[in-house]
Order: sequence, then structure tokens, then C-alpha cells
Amino acid sequence: MNLDLKAINQCVRCGSCRTFCPVFEQSGWESANTRGRIMIIKGLTCGLRPDSHILNSLNSCTTCGICTENCPAGINPPELIESARRELVLLGKMTAQQADLSRNIYARGNTFGDSRDRLSWLKDRSFLTKKADYVYFVGCMNSYRYTDTAANTFALLRPFGTTIIPEEQCCGSPLLRTGFDARRFIDKNCMQIEDAGAQTVISGCAGCYTTLKKSYPHSIEVQSVPEFLSERISELNLKPLDLTVTYHDPCHLGRHNKIYEQPRQIIEAICRLKEMKTNKKDARCCGGGGGVRSGYRDLSLQMAKKRLEDVPEDVDFIVTTCPLCIRNLRDAGAGEKVIDLADLVAMATR
Amino acid sequence: MTDIMQELKEIVGESVSSSPGERCCYAGDASQITGMPDFVVRPQSTSQVSRILRLCSKRLIAVTARGAGTGLAGGCSPVRGGIVLDMSAMNRILEIDIENQQVIVEPGVVAEKLNSALRPYGFFFPPDPGSLAMCTIGGMISNNSSGMRSVKYGTVRNYVLDLEVVLADGKVLHTGKKVLKSSAGYDLTRLFVGSEGTLGIITQAGLKISPLPSARKLILACFEEAEIAGQAVIEIFASGITPSACEILDRTTLQVLKLCDPLLAIPEDGDIILFEVDGTEQSTSEAAEQICQISQHTAKSVRIALGREMDSIWAARRLVGAAISRLDPSKTRIYMGEDVGVPIKEIPALIKKVQQITTKLDIPAMKYGHIGDGNLHVALFIDVMSEEQWQKLQLAADRIHRAAMELGGTVSSEHGIGLARAHYLPEQMGDEAFIVMRSIKNALDSQGILNPGKMGL
Repeated sequence: MNLDLKAINQCVRCGSCRTFCPVFEQSGWESANTRGRIMIIKGLTCGLRPDSHILNSLNSCTTCGICTENCPAGINPPELIESARRELVLLGKMTAQQADLSRNIYARGNTFGDSRDRLSWLKDRSFLTKKADYVYFVGCMNSYRYTDTAANTFALLRPFGTTIIPEEQCCGSPLLRTGFDARRFIDKNCMQIEDAGAQTVISGCAGCYTTLKKSYPHSIEVQSVPEFLSERISELNLKPLDLTVTYHDPCHLGRHNKIYEQPRQIIEAICRLKEMKTNKKDARCCGGGGGVRSGYRDLSLQMAKKRLEDVPEDVDFIVTTCPLCIRNLRDAGAGEKVIDLADLVAMATR
Repeated sequence: MTDIMQELKEIVGESVSSSPGERCCYAGDASQITGMPDFVVRPQSTSQVSRILRLCSKRLIAVTARGAGTGLAGGCSPVRGGIVLDMSAMNRILEIDIENQQVIVEPGVVAEKLNSALRPYGFFFPPDPGSLAMCTIGGMISNNSSGMRSVKYGTVRNYVLDLEVVLADGKVLHTGKKVLKSSAGYDLTRLFVGSEGTLGIITQAGLKISPLPSARKLILACFEEAEIAGQAVIEIFASGITPSACEILDRTTLQVLKLCDPLLAIPEDGDIILFEVDGTEQSTSEAAEQICQISQHTAKSVRIALGREMDSIWAARRLVGAAISRLDPSKTRIYMGEDVGVPIKEIPALIKKVQQITTKLDIPAMKYGHIGDGNLHVALFIDVMSEEQWQKLQLAADRIHRAAMELGGTVSSEHGIGLARAHYLPEQMGDEAFIVMRSIKNALDSQGILNPGKMGL
């Protein structure tokens, strides 16, 4: 297996990750902890044969990166885990859920295997210019599940010279996180972004953002919606709202890309912000990332419920900037109280 | 194996695994000692542990208890296979009895969680190993661990009042009473403390707790070299001051600390001693001033850190042992020869010897530790892909262990013996003492099923 032995060996097995790993917190078994996963990966390089238990160990990591943030040895376990998933997939070793997810994306270009028009939420297509300074990358979740958020986001971005590429495909994040190749989707999206002549791609999904930023050619500048809007707060004509909200840091926007302040600046320009019990680099994961929501729904929802315990009392909304987090936190019991930042901004501009 | 699995399932339900992946995860701790268990079991009650041990006794199955697996000597590595008992699922704080200054806990309680539960009452459990955030009370008791504040507060042994222990044949006993002192009979409590799971499985512990001090101050004194720093420590202790912590950090350690937290304002041009004093505001001010006065004769610089700065320095200090790779990502810290201890006045000699050993073998080392109680942690780090470096490492570790013994010290001050240091134990203890130890083992575990192969037994 083509695994980075040097990185694996940097783990001194101190067990610090036991304090932080949200999956281990639920399970208690060492195979559900970062250290255990790294021991398994090392085992794979020494002849340990991958079975369903090993696949479950490696695939139940949400890649939230809280272990990276706190690892004394300074290693990056999600990178190691993703590379192990990739090697196993190359050997044809994957869970049924992994196979289903990849089949959906390869067949239809979206995580749901949905055959409908990706832009069905956009009634007036005249807004779509062939050339623009900015491209709004909608993402699978907002294209098919949170279409109001997609519409709100586009309405906010459009006045600044933003278009949408005509045949957007899944960004590739779910494939890359779970060990599959995403080259063809990356290429197709890149080609269209280039055709639009855009300098910058704007993403409203933490998963898409981190993929666009890290797996797409570096010539494409990528901004998240909160980054883009925070630079233009004075131009948004925001009306103050008599609300108190809290903010959930999505792992792939926060820990993975260090975007902590921009969403808070926007929220504080609109209403009161009460922080969650754990926030910013220490924020608990919602439990949905890394393919865990699709592969291990119960585990994923247990983590989301734990995250909801961090919500302060008396808040009107839980605001976040990732549709996967929204979905998981809603399903864990928070319901419509969880909203996207773009929806909050839209409320303040009406 | 199938029938054993079936019997284990009857005892613990689904809390047992024989999958190769799970067994691989429980093969060892942070040391280089490994062994593949046949089963991993996560019991949830004393009665389950008792039934498991009855089964193991009947079938002659080795049983190795494990807390968080943060040990550094292979104490929880199942070197003879059998069952690993992961005790971390028994993690309830059963009673907080402030009036009697005691708590009763299950062995899987994480030390820091115990302290979080005690904080609102103004109390704490003083032993504080670097792994405080993840290590379990059971593991701490089994290794008689301590940490940075042992110079004032002592080791775990000073805090254990009563243990519930399951013996090799499944019988359950208590070693003490809910009293702060007792002179009734042999001190079985202290016998089990530090016995590394070789005499019985701890399933409950009654612990003494202490009031939290109202003030703490940290004094950073920087010295030209470690030997001078060691002399300063001796002078300060001789003057009658007992700091609550007294840590040495050499130049290499300071570089790593800065990598852990670049904002730390610590000198990097010498070896540092961190003195912490605790007590009341007035007593800590006086003690801090006195330490400054004594050390300024030989130190390059001395200053006092308070509040958030003090917390940041301690937080980085806790991480430093595992953080050496940050200095050179091509190298990994290997825990060998890392826990020697000598009488305090021999500390300068030990530091000098360690320096000579590592220089001669050309092996990089970070030296830090609890200089106030004579405990030096030597972090050797190597490229683990190099066979030559492995050989040098083993040679260095052996020489460090022997240097400590020659100075009248110990091969382990707080990490335990496990298998990594087992071969030194007869030499350190002396033949007669070791024979007594072996007799005790035979009396309590005549079949040798409890953590076999450890401590030279």
C-alpha cells in the first residue's frame, strides 16, 4: 500500500486524541479513536488484512480535524485516514455505503443520484451571464435540498457580478473524503469556471470550499460566502434584527481553513451573537462529515445531539455555513432552528 | 477460541471483540512493547470482572488490564496474548464526600474529569501526570504515577485509601476503609498501588482529595547550563522552600515548547527551571521572592509569570514529551530510558552523565522533568527507519538506566516497569527483595495469569 510511513511513525501513540475525537467519545473502543485508526493503518502496511471492522474504523472518522488541532506530535490524521481509504478503494475494499455514494455521484454528478435539473430552484435564468467576475458554486446540498438557501445566497452575490456555471457538477468532496477519484468532476467544473472568465469562485458549503481550495488548481481563487460578504458588509444595507443567535463552526471552514471571524462579523452586524460552549478551533463536530452521515447515520446523529448540548440557552437560531451541518443538526432535533448564514443575511436585507 | 468468545459474550454482551483490527489497536501503549491479544473486553461492573477472571483462571487465559493505554513501559501490552481488559468503560464517579475529603471512583475515570468534578467544591486530586487529560485513575494507581506537582504533593500512593480488587480467582476484596489513616494489618492498599495489574484488577478506588490552593505563582529562572540549574534547585530546597512544582527544561525542550506555542515568552538561550509555588497570596509572594533572590546569583535571568501566561506555559509543558517531532519531522520520540530518578543532590551528576552518553552516541535528546524530586525525563528521538539509530537508541537508554542506578537511583520514577524495564528490576531491588516480590506474586496469582511477563515476574 502506498501510505506515508513517515507520517504514520510520527504518531507516538500518546493517546491525547482520546480526549478530543468525537467518534471515540460515542464508542469507547480504541478502533474508533484516532490513535487506533493510525495503528490500524500501520498494521495495513505490515500485512493486516482489511475486513469490515477495519473499514468501519477508518470510515467512521468525520475528518473533523480536532485531533490535528490538538496532536502534540503535530501530525494530520485526517490526511492519513483519507489516504488509507483511497488505497483500500483502489484494492476494491469499501463499505456498501461508500459504493452507493460513489455510484450516485459518478452516475448523476450529485451525491443524491438525483436526475432533476440542478438549477431547478432558479426561476429566472436571465440572471445567468456567460461571463462574470465571480462564480457562485452552489454545491449538491443547496442545489437539491436547501434550494431557498441557494436562492438567498445567489440573490446576495448577484449584485456584485456573480454567475453560476451552467453544468455544475459535484465538487468531488464526498468522493475525495471517502477514497475515490474525483478528477473528472474537478476538470469539468474547472473548465466552466475558466469559460466564465471568473477571478473567484464563491462557495456556501464548507465541504465544497475546502475541496475547491485544496484540490482544485491553485490558479482559481476561492472564497467562502462569509469571507466574501464580510468584505462587503457596508454594501449589503443590513437592517438590525432583534434576535440572539449562536454560530456553529463547520469543521471544514473553521479548523481546516481557519475561517472563524468573518461569519461572526456578519452576524454581529445584524444581531446578537452568543457563543457555543465549544467554538472556533475547539468546536465540536456536527458528526456529518467524512462520509459518516451517509455511512453511519445513528453514530452521526449521536454526535450531532452532543453538539446541540453546546448551544446556549435562549437563542433564536443556530447559524452555520455548511448545509451538511444544517442537515445533521436539524435531524438530531434542532429542526428549523438551524439556518444558513445566507438565510440570516437575507432576513436582514428584506 | 469460539467457546471462550461465547462465554465472554454471556458475561459482557457485545462489549467483547476478537476482530483483528480491534486487537491491533490494543496491542500496546506508547512504548515499543507490543503483543496481540486474542480478545478485547470492556467490562462495566465489578461482577463482570470477577466472572471474567473466574473464566480466565479456569481456562488459564492471560489477562492484561488497561486504562487509557497512555503508559510508557508496555505495562498494558498483552505480551502473552489472552484478554485485554479495557477498564475505561467503568468510568463513574461514585461519591464525592467533601466532609470526609474523599472520593470513590471507578478505575476508568479520567483524571482531569475527576478534577473538573471536584473544582466547584474547591478540591482536587493532586497527582498530575502530563497525560492528565486522558489517563485513567486505574492506570495511575497501577503505575503509582505522579507528575509535576509530586515534589510537594507526592505520588498517587499518598492518596489511595481503599481499593476494591478482583483477585486472579475472581474473589473480590477491599484493601482499606473510608478513613484517612489506619494501622490495621498489612498495608494491602499500598501493595496494589504500583503493581501494574500483576496482583489483581482494581475495580474501585477510595481517594483522598486536597483543597485547591488559592494562589499560584510561577518563577522562570534561566541558567547557562543544566548542571548550574541543578545546583540552584538544591540550594532552594536546602533553604526550606518546598515549591509545588520544580521542572527543568533544557534548550532543546524550550525550542519544542516554542513550536507548540509560538507566543510563549520564554528564554531560549539556556536551560530553564520552572518553580511553582502555591498557597495563599501572601505566602506565594514571599516564596516567589525568596526563590528569585536565591537563584539570581547563578541564573542568567529570573522572572515571575502569573495568570494566563503561567497557564500557557504549563499547557505547553504538558505537551512537550510527545511534541519532539515538531522540531524535526523526520524523527520520532521513542520512550526508552525516559523516566530515571536519583537523589536530588545527584541531579547535576545525572544530567552530566546523560549529556555525555547522548553526545558520545550522537543521538539527539531533550531533557526535561521533575528535577525537584530527582526525576529526569530524557526524550531520545530518532529516524525510526534507520536500524543504526535504533541500535544507538537502545544503547543510550541502557546506559542512562545504569547511570541512574549507579547514582543510587531508580530506572522508573513514575512511569512504571512494564516489560521495557523489567530486566533492571532484580538488579535495582537486590536479590532478596525481588524474591519477596516474587513470593507475593505467587501467593496472589499462583497460575501467573495476571499481566504475565511484566516486572520481571
